Amino acid sequence: MTFDVVYGLSPLLVVALGALLLMLAEAFGKPNPQGLAPTGEVSDAGAGRAGELGMGAAVVLFVGAALSLGVWLAGPDNLVGLELTRPYLIWDRFTVFVCFTLCLGGGLSCLLAGGYLTEHEIDRAEFFPLVLFSTVGAMALAAAGELLTLFVALETMSLGVYALVGLRRTPRSSEAALKYFLLGSFAAALMLFGAALLYGATGRTDLAGIGQAIAAIGQGEGPGAAQVLIALVLVVVGLAFKVSAVPFHMWTPDAYEGAPTPATSYMAVAVKTAAFAVMVRVLLIAFGDERLTSWASGWPPVLATLAVASMTVANLVAGRQSSVKRMLAYSSIAHAGYALVAVVATIRSPAAEGSILFYLLTYTVSTAGAFGALILCGSRGKEAVSYEDLAGIAKRHPAAAMAFSLFLLSLAGVPPTAGFFGKLYVFQAAIDAELYVLTVVGLLNSLVGAYYYLRVIVFMYMREPAPGATLAVPMRSGYVASALVIAAVLVIALGVLPNVTLEWAAIATVGRS
Amino acid sequence: MNAGNALFIVGALLCLVGALSTVIARSPIRAAMGLLITIIGIASLFLKLSAQFLAAIQIIVYAGAVVVLFVFVIMLIGADTSAGPPKSGGSVGSRIVAGGGMAVLSGLGLLLLARFDGQPVRFGPAAVGHGDVEAVGGLLFREAIIPFELATALLIVAVIGAIAVARSKARPRPAPPESHESKRLFHGPLHPRDAQRPLSKEPAE
Repeated sequence: MTFDVVYGLSPLLVVALGALLLMLAEAFGKPNPQGLAPTGEVSDAGAGRAGELGMGAAVVLFVGAALSLGVWLAGPDNLVGLELTRPYLIWDRFTVFVCFTLCLGGGLSCLLAGGYLTEHEIDRAEFFPLVLFSTVGAMALAAAGELLTLFVALETMSLGVYALVGLRRTPRSSEAALKYFLLGSFAAALMLFGAALLYGATGRTDLAGIGQAIAAIGQGEGPGAAQVLIALVLVVVGLAFKVSAVPFHMWTPDAYEGAPTPATSYMAVAVKTAAFAVMVRVLLIAFGDERLTSWASGWPPVLATLAVASMTVANLVAGRQSSVKRMLAYSSIAHAGYALVAVVATIRSPAAEGSILFYLLTYTVSTAGAFGALILCGSRGKEAVSYEDLAGIAKRHPAAAMAFSLFLLSLAGVPPTAGFFGKLYVFQAAIDAELYVLTVVGLLNSLVGAYYYLRVIVFMYMREPAPGATLAVPMRSGYVASALVIAAVLVIALGVLPNVTLEWAAIATVGRS
Repeated sequence: MNAGNALFIVGALLCLVGALSTVIARSPIRAAMGLLITIIGIASLFLKLSAQFLAAIQIIVYAGAVVVLFVFVIMLIGADTSAGPPKSGGSVGSRIVAGGGMAVLSGLGLLLLARFDGQPVRFGPAAVGHGDVEAVGGLLFREAIIPFELATALLIVAVIGAIAVARSKARPRPAPPESHESKRLFHGPLHPRDAQRPLSKEPAE
């Protein structure tokens, strides 16, 4: 019984334990003079060890991913003791799949940070415990089956990320962190308000109980139904903020641009994945009764509007950016739109949940890889930010340009990369659910999106840098290189052989009411 | 009107008045006092809900510690440094749009509530012992142990985050890229005395 619980929750426990150990390692480790900034001042013991700590954090997260795989193979349903954690944590196949994705994205970001923080002399070893604890929050959020757990997990994940954004302490970084913190707290407060209304209307805090009570409230009669509707709006707004869907995306470009790039990568992959997981669970279990999932009187049209707005606005604005990092921020908003299409499709297509999970996995490896390639293209004082910085880099550094191109093609959804199958299954689920308009809008947007992804490739391969312009010099870092190799292998593997993963994703459902 | 309803009305009024004065007050000290009134109002609402333990904790932790900390920080910074609201960046038009949007939303919410008539949802009377220390402890450490343990992760992440964000300011950052090249000529000050003096064009900290 105890073994079941410990083994089942082992991905979560290992990451939490690893975070505590890393904190100790940082506090008591000897400073490494070679990793120190020449002008920096040694004031803490772990200074200059960003690379080693990053490696440690990445190992912890990859062990977490491996354990998720182990739990998956053992089958969470066979671990009877896991029933004990209900209703607070629902540890089913859906959760375990999401945990794997989260650990993978977090691990890649930590590897990137190991190279980036050293190269750019951001001597902040707090980065890694923050990422690990934030991942603990994200995993608990993906598993949360009760409103209190959901809120605490959401805040654990968010607080870590707010601090990551402000780590660099430049004016731009501080402004981004403050903006993100204020808007994020506001969104969390709205969600809490919605949760309070739900409790008031149903008298329950567990999602399944809320779902039953809402079904019992029935056909839109009585004051309870009005409360449920208002609560639904507030909860959807809070979650849409976390996945940065238009029009709740205002913070995204600033926060993504101001954060150190590995933190941006972490925000783009892990926060979004966990937020989508909890969105699917809340909508399908708590708000999953017939009336609220119908097109006429429920959440599907609202989410469909968010999806169309996210895809269209983000793709149009992304094409006009001059900063590649900002373009990738808008691209992550657009990808939230595609995933929202699949969320809407869950109302009629049983395959839609699996398509969301598979999409999030492909999105995680492609996005982490793209940010990693952007990190690789720059070095201290010569960070690659704009398209101009990347001009002609293929001639000087073909490997960096090739890696970047691979991830951009995957984000654009070109076969045979992972991104193609991710999009394919999302749109297939949408067609199954007879959402033809949404599918067409999504396909058109993929075409628009290809423009700005390919534009980067055009700059890298076909443009020459303007005479006298500062050239971006790629950095040399084993950590970044290994992260890119892992991501590239996964992008190609998921693109060439998607079958096993897809079959797994298809059986990972939230078990709706 | 019985005593419980009177307590509710007093508590709710305290909350509203306190919250309004927190937002409206020009002096930060008054805003902190408004917060104190809100907290006392919330504590009395907890009492009405027969959550005596929570009411006591609310007073001890929030009124006793958090507000004192606020006042301490305000005193440290200087109570009159931020007197008066800063100039708002938004134009009159954007303010009208924002205010109008809020009004429309509130109106829609009211309409939604008004469309449904009937009795509000009623909860049964609280069980004996509801809300005392034992009941809260049993709930926290037996039933809701998972969210409780998660809250420890939340607190740790908040502490690390605060340290990470606050500490970096005290450390001298490496020079900006423009002056980086020239400074690289020397690896450290030529004379110990030079370490005390900032290089040219760099404002002294």
